[in-house]
Amino acid sequence: MPKLTLYQAMQYNWLFCVDSLAMIDPKRVLRALAEHWAQLDPLCEHFDSGTLSLVELRARLGAQLPDSTPADITALLDAWIRLDILVPVAKSPNRFELNAQIHDFLAYLRREHRLGLCLEIEAYLRHLERLAAHIQDAFEARDSNELARQLRLLDMRVRDVLKKLSNDEHALVGVAERAKTSDRQIPLRQRYAEVLATWDEYVEPMIQLVSADGIFEKGVNRVEHVLLRLMGEQHRLGQLVDDDLLLRTHARILEMQTTAQLSLRRARELLLPLREEARRHNAITRGAALALSAIRRKGLDAVPQTAMPLFSRPQSVFLGTASQVESYVYALAHFEPKPAQFPKASESRKETARSKAPRTAREMLDRCENALPMPDLMIWLLDQEPEGATDELLYWFSRLSRDSRFQRERLPRRDYDTAKHRVSLCSFALSARDTASNTHAH
Amino acid sequence: MHIDLTELSLLTPIFRELLKGFHISRREPELYAQLSNLQDAYRTLFKALGFELVCDTRGFYYFVPEQMGAQVNKTAQRLALFTFIMVEHLADQGRDPLSVLDGGSLGRDELPALLEKYRDLFLQAEVQTQDELEEKILRRLTQLGFASEDNGIYRFLPPMHRFLDVCLAVQQDRDLAATLHSNLPLPVPALVDDDADSLSSPSAGDNEDELARAIAEERAHQETEA
Repeated sequence: MPKLTLYQAMQYNWLFCVDSLAMIDPKRVLRALAEHWAQLDPLCEHFDSGTLSLVELRARLGAQLPDSTPADITALLDAWIRLDILVPVAKSPNRFELNAQIHDFLAYLRREHRLGLCLEIEAYLRHLERLAAHIQDAFEARDSNELARQLRLLDMRVRDVLKKLSNDEHALVGVAERAKTSDRQIPLRQRYAEVLATWDEYVEPMIQLVSADGIFEKGVNRVEHVLLRLMGEQHRLGQLVDDDLLLRTHARILEMQTTAQLSLRRARELLLPLREEARRHNAITRGAALALSAIRRKGLDAVPQTAMPLFSRPQSVFLGTASQVESYVYALAHFEPKPAQFPKASESRKETARSKAPRTAREMLDRCENALPMPDLMIWLLDQEPEGATDELLYWFSRLSRDSRFQRERLPRRDYDTAKHRVSLCSFALSARDTASNTHAH
Repeated sequence: MHIDLTELSLLTPIFRELLKGFHISRREPELYAQLSNLQDAYRTLFKALGFELVCDTRGFYYFVPEQMGAQVNKTAQRLALFTFIMVEHLADQGRDPLSVLDGGSLGRDELPALLEKYRDLFLQAEVQTQDELEEKILRRLTQLGFASEDNGIYRFLPPMHRFLDVCLAVQQDRDLAATLHSNLPLPVPALVDDDADSLSSPSAGDNEDELARAIAEERAHQETEA
């Protein structure tokens, strides 16, 4: 067994270490893994994301083993290097990584799953098809040994595919969990990057692969066809291999097909909502930016044509606060009709007009609406109420100009003469608001 | 459908809240639980009374206004503007707008920076100071059940999805560019809350106007008689 010291390991290249792998006693490797699990387990996470320099390794081990001396840590690292648990990075001998085989084994033990490539499954399927062809050839040559060997190979490959599908499914769960549990404050693009990449690079090609006319289905059908034909021919021409072996392989092929479909369905169920969520986020952000742009250009009234939320309280049934209702009810309870005052015959028409009841908002709005388009609201009001009090005219001016059924356009400031005052204000030209666009939007 | 009124034990508070324009979500656990359990009964009852109860699957209930879009709805505009601003502001900061506006929170201490950054837009909503921002927007959000406030922290509730839906609708509006350059008047949301606070306000609806006038007249009459 080569005795590599830390210093020596740094001098040798990675190939030497790989070469030495065959000579290491497996029991010693397993014993070292068991003995140093407490130190290796946390290191795995760091090795998942890259390599570690000797200084970093010593620092991490020093933190984990506070009672140990530098010599102890050197001895520990030496042992790992001798057993090929740690290997120097190619062309960077002062940096180390976990031996790829050990890394995979530790990942398996730590129930960590790294998502594979869809292309791997495709390659396996191609290989299965080739094996099916070999099986057919062996049967036609009546070579029972070769037939049994090829069937075993086929069975092992199918198990590989099943193992890979299971691993990938676990890895996809990890992807979804990481996206769901990651810090909600980190940028969305970052949070969902892995989900989106996984979808594009794994799920989408898998959908193609497992589709009815995809490579997976074609490959499975071809292998299944060969196996079924073989069973039929065996009955006719005599047995070359045990029927159980054929049946077991056939069952496993079907299991692989079902597993692939279920695995894909679960992948979609896991990742599709997250992918849609990411898309929804993008759409919301873009929508908000567009809306703000519209408001910047045309003001708050220029809310884009879209379904705005409506949450008005129904006015027709609205009464008001408790005290207002109370006073209203009190007033009703003490209601007494006022004595009717009839105009005297001697009173002029002018006096009658002055004492008439104030117009209701509805009446004024209707009259205003009938007079559209209106070049100047204030002039119209003065025409309507030439003797009207200034404050009343100004109230109607304010009320009518703000009503939603009118489109208003501000006019230049000028003076207007009421019965008793001269007021200076910017009047409005009123026109009918386009109801078509309102209806469309709601 | 047979409705057992004794089952609807929270009918009064539920109706009162919904009528105010409030959105009932899990923040009101008792009301929400009863609405969820007796959703059909409540919906049928309210329908018979002329109210449409919306049961949003994202976890909230509200009344659809009687007259859709009939009036200028300043508060809806302000709240929508605030949502747009929040989404952009959070996205600019690299934060997740959806997670903040659905269950997340905003501290009062974040408001000055927000106000400063979007001063031009807030100005259009007649919001110039932090007090106005809290009074005209955040207090409205809490009054209508879109948010809750606790020790200077505003927590956004599921009904905020109604405004997030507006963002989605805008994003899907392929004619937005045309809309932006059009001279046609654009639809505005309906809202009464900012006008309906005071019944004596001359800008309130006709019914309120007349009611206020009647009360005032009666009071004046009583004073004269006294």
